[in-house]
Amino acid sequence: MNRREGEGCPRRNADAVQDRDASANPSSPVIAAFKVFQQELDTKHDKYERLVKISRDVTIESKRTIFLLHRVTSVPNAEDILNEADVKLDAVRQKIGQIAEELRGEDIFQFHRAFTAGIQEYVEAVSFLHYIRHRSLISLEEINARLVFMRTEKVEPEGSAEAVQPGGQVLTFQVTPSDYLLGVADLTGELMRMCISSVGNGDIDTPFQLSQFLRQIHDGFSYIGNTGPYEVSKKLHTLRQSLGKVEDACYALRVRGSEIPKHMLADVFSSRTTLLDPEEGVV
Amino acid sequence: MNRREGEGCPRRNADAVQDRDASANPSSPVIAAFKVFQQELDTKHDKYERLVKISRDVTIESKRTIFLLHRVTSVPNAEDILNEADVKLDAVRQKIGQIAEELRGEDIFQFHRAFTAGIQEYVEAVSFLHYIRHRSLISLEEINARLVFMRTEKGSAEAVQPGGQVLTFQVTPSDYLLGVADLTGELMRMCISSVGNGDIDTPFQLSQFLRQIHDGFSYIGNTGPYEVSKKLHTLRQSLGKVEDACYALRVRGSEIPKHMLADVFSSRTTLLDPEEGVV
Repeated sequence: MNRREGEGCPRRNADAVQDRDASANPSSPVIAAFKVFQQELDTKHDKYERLVKISRDVTIESKRTIFLLHRVTSVPNAEDILNEADVKLDAVRQKIGQIAEELRGEDIFQFHRAFTAGIQEYVEAVSFLHYIRHRSLISLEEINARLVFMRTEKVEPEGSAEAVQPGGQVLTFQVTPSDYLLGVADLTGELMRMCISSVGNGDIDTPFQLSQFLRQIHDGFSYIGNTGPYEVSKKLHTLRQSLGKVEDACYALRVRGSEIPKHMLADVFSSRTTLLDPEEGVV
Repeated sequence: MNRREGEGCPRRNADAVQDRDASANPSSPVIAAFKVFQQELDTKHDKYERLVKISRDVTIESKRTIFLLHRVTSVPNAEDILNEADVKLDAVRQKIGQIAEELRGEDIFQFHRAFTAGIQEYVEAVSFLHYIRHRSLISLEEINARLVFMRTEKGSAEAVQPGGQVLTFQVTPSDYLLGVADLTGELMRMCISSVGNGDIDTPFQLSQFLRQIHDGFSYIGNTGPYEVSKKLHTLRQSLGKVEDACYALRVRGSEIPKHMLADVFSSRTTLLDPEEGVV
């Protein structure tokens, strides 16, 4: 099952006839070499495909965790939701453990594009949970510290002569700094939504905290500028818009807040955020 | 876990305060209705995701079958390859059986986009194999006739039905069309490689066959699925390459020794242009 090398790239010399016999001879060293290439490539592509599937599962579970976490603003008892989110994130970590298993002994950058989307969503979810609990940004070291997996050695049923290792193997998954950066950039969008919904629920402290926090993240990204991965520039643009919406919310609360009763504030924001424009339009 | 309805769409009337209490009350009928919606949507999305995964497997196996079938031109004994391809396509049919299981009792057009790519690749592979064996185009009915799966009932207190359940998967006419359009690209490659191997009958057969398929697609014009127009453009290019090959064989063939013919085609096909460049 040779890969198609190119359309009709035949040999252009006097050995053409002899080569054609060699190509029909399955035991020639050239054919044998290609069979080895074929198996290597098939193995690599199959592994890439498995990683893509696991990464899709990670993405879906992380997104559902984020949807769950958005409910903390509208429910009086936030602890239940945070515990449920912890459980879901543990399930996501198990999946990341499977990714680590697949990558054991491999060059992770050959497969990086397969799982990068899932890892960015996971970083987004776990940093969102960390912010809700601690009002601070989780660090890359803290994220990687949670991604340590124990793999116990399987015991040979025939009873091998070697001693069984009691500790088992430790498998770690290191989130790359670029995935961490991109996940944090996505986190800012979720924080903006949380800000708007918390205003709609009457909480007027959160927007100011979030405004400061997002401003610091924005400044950090501006330091990076265009020296980072290319996706950073698109996400920086979205980050500016999110920061703008949050700061508009703080403006409306501070400057207009004395005039407007609390339960009408939500109206101000729905018209403001849909226009994406700090014009006066309500009240 | 409510889906995010929209950014801050609060209620704008005097009932605002009362509604807010209702939204915090988890046993209100509104929340209960949304929980039902949530489960329905989650089930649907999970099913869609499983279908996407199965469809990716179908696509990969079908593509590998097509790569395998391209070897028939360069190997003296074609039967082995055809039998191996049959085995691989049976494995693909098992996967399509899983798709049929997932779609049991569902509206297939809600999930069609999940598996359409896999089914098109399968149609391409099975019609390629059929062409190599029979030099004709497989029909939609023949394809669907192979996609019948027996599902035996699991033993229970009720009387076991001796026949088991029959589950069929119907390939839609649009997937069949798009798969046949992809087939033409593979036939063009087979034509060029068979010339490179010295076979000068196949290009003429293929030229006629592709011309008929092209005419069929022209009848459809722009009344079919929108992908047809892109594939019709690719089909015209493939037909052009095959007809160039036949031209070189017929008109230039008397001048050029057989083992040099391959050179003519490699320069011709890379230029995509019937200019004289070699010999």
